[in-house]
Amino acid sequence: MSVRAFFNSLREGFTGILRHPIVTLASVTTILLMLLLMAGFVIFSADARHIMRAIGQEPPIEVYMRLSSTDVERQAVTDYLVSDTAHIRTYEMLSPEQNYNDFRKNLGGSSSILDDFDYNQYLPYTFRIQLTDPTYSGDVSMKLQAFPGVSKVMLEQQVMVFLTSATKWVNIATGAAFLVLFLIALFIISNMVRISVYSRAAEINIMKYVGATNTYIRLPFIVEGAVVGLFSAICAWGIAYFVYDRIYSAAMAKIEPGSLYSLLPMSGLSKIVLLVCAFSGILIGAFGSGVAVRKYIRV
Amino acid sequence: MIRFDNVYKTYRTGTDALRGVSFHIDDGEFVFVIGKSGSGKSTIIKLMTREEKPTEGVVYIDHFPVSRMSRTLIPVLRRHIGMIYQDFRLIESKNVFENIAFAGEIVGMPRKELIQTVDIVMSVVGLRHKAAAMPLELSGGEQQRVAIARAMVNDPRLILADEPTGNLDPMTSESIMALLEEINRNGTTVVVCTHDSNLVDRMQKRVIEISEGQICRDCKAGGYSGETTDSCLPEVTV
Repeated sequence: MSVRAFFNSLREGFTGILRHPIVTLASVTTILLMLLLMAGFVIFSADARHIMRAIGQEPPIEVYMRLSSTDVERQAVTDYLVSDTAHIRTYEMLSPEQNYNDFRKNLGGSSSILDDFDYNQYLPYTFRIQLTDPTYSGDVSMKLQAFPGVSKVMLEQQVMVFLTSATKWVNIATGAAFLVLFLIALFIISNMVRISVYSRAAEINIMKYVGATNTYIRLPFIVEGAVVGLFSAICAWGIAYFVYDRIYSAAMAKIEPGSLYSLLPMSGLSKIVLLVCAFSGILIGAFGSGVAVRKYIRV
Repeated sequence: MIRFDNVYKTYRTGTDALRGVSFHIDDGEFVFVIGKSGSGKSTIIKLMTREEKPTEGVVYIDHFPVSRMSRTLIPVLRRHIGMIYQDFRLIESKNVFENIAFAGEIVGMPRKELIQTVDIVMSVVGLRHKAAAMPLELSGGEQQRVAIARAMVNDPRLILADEPTGNLDPMTSESIMALLEEINRNGTTVVVCTHDSNLVDRMQKRVIEISEGQICRDCKAGGYSGETTDSCLPEVTV
């Protein structure tokens, strides 16, 4: 196809959008509804992952050093924790004295029983670590255990297992929902465009007889579908933005932004929602149209 | 220009449309293909444009076996053939100029050249003053002229017309045939499938008559009906 024929074909695609306004409106509405559902899932899964990540970081990994551990051994552990920024979000080294004071604090009014307790003899140095993601707990734990001077690494194992599995299932559910919605939208759009194509079957026939290639015939429909998809995506994004912003304001009225259960603000989600909607909308529109027109262009 | 070598065509329904058809059309010839409805005339046109493939035998255009060409080459073939139909087949949403220009746009003709070419072919068919009119605002004869102009845009060496006067009154039919004759005089091969006995009788061009899927008469200069004389025998493939 020549450059000129290509641009003719693109121009035809834009013209086609206005040629059948009812079909265009129906297509926009269908894609819009599907993309709204998709945007909802994207926001829900982003929030779910955000909350789980926050919770996952909260129960720290506790590293107990041996009572006989040396400064060099503790420094080695500290060096590792400083260097592994991919897995370690924060860490804190507690001296026997700090552990003793914590212990006393936990006992409250009965803390006097520890008055004569020689913490240097019985309490070790400890590290309290928060991970960037709960799924890293196994790896980090293994690495820490290998350091000389480390007595034991305590994990909130059950919480970690739950969080790891929950994160995995949220990801799978999001992917599956995305795929199912995508296929449904594709099917509906393909049938919707078929009406438009059918009404232009005579025109397509004429194009074939004067020597138009399949690509030349198909391209305007694909462009039309892609533009309709993009327009629907922008509408879906706008609606999702407006609605979620209201939900966020209402939900966060009594929750502090730093809380474990805080939601992500729409300003942070806006780009990814727009990207997902635009990508899916264009793909659904273009691919649906391309499939619909296929039957009619066999020369 | 065109050669049919022992061509058979049986449709999926079991209908035998052509049964061992062989003929040869030279460059610049004007040929009528005549016969009753269902005799196989339209199948001959469809085989030339590769709308159909022969069940047996080979169809050549310019020594190229079009019946064996790949699908991707079919649009290229059709760009070299001007097609004219009984029902005109114009795009109703495009005006006369756009309908004619459309055939040039498909091959990517530069805009300036396209405008000039369309202008010339509109003048040839006498429709320059109707460039902005929509097809439904035109008479049948005018619509057929638009179709002829569209067929001429890419300067084809072959024009195939399937019942081009089928929907037209006798006077308009005469003018359309005169136009096709004029195009033929400039060297374009013209093949016309028709029922119109008056036109065939008056023009005295080569006539290939098909009956029940076989050529029963091939006359160098004949009428619609006539005896099969020695000069009117069909080509025999051994």
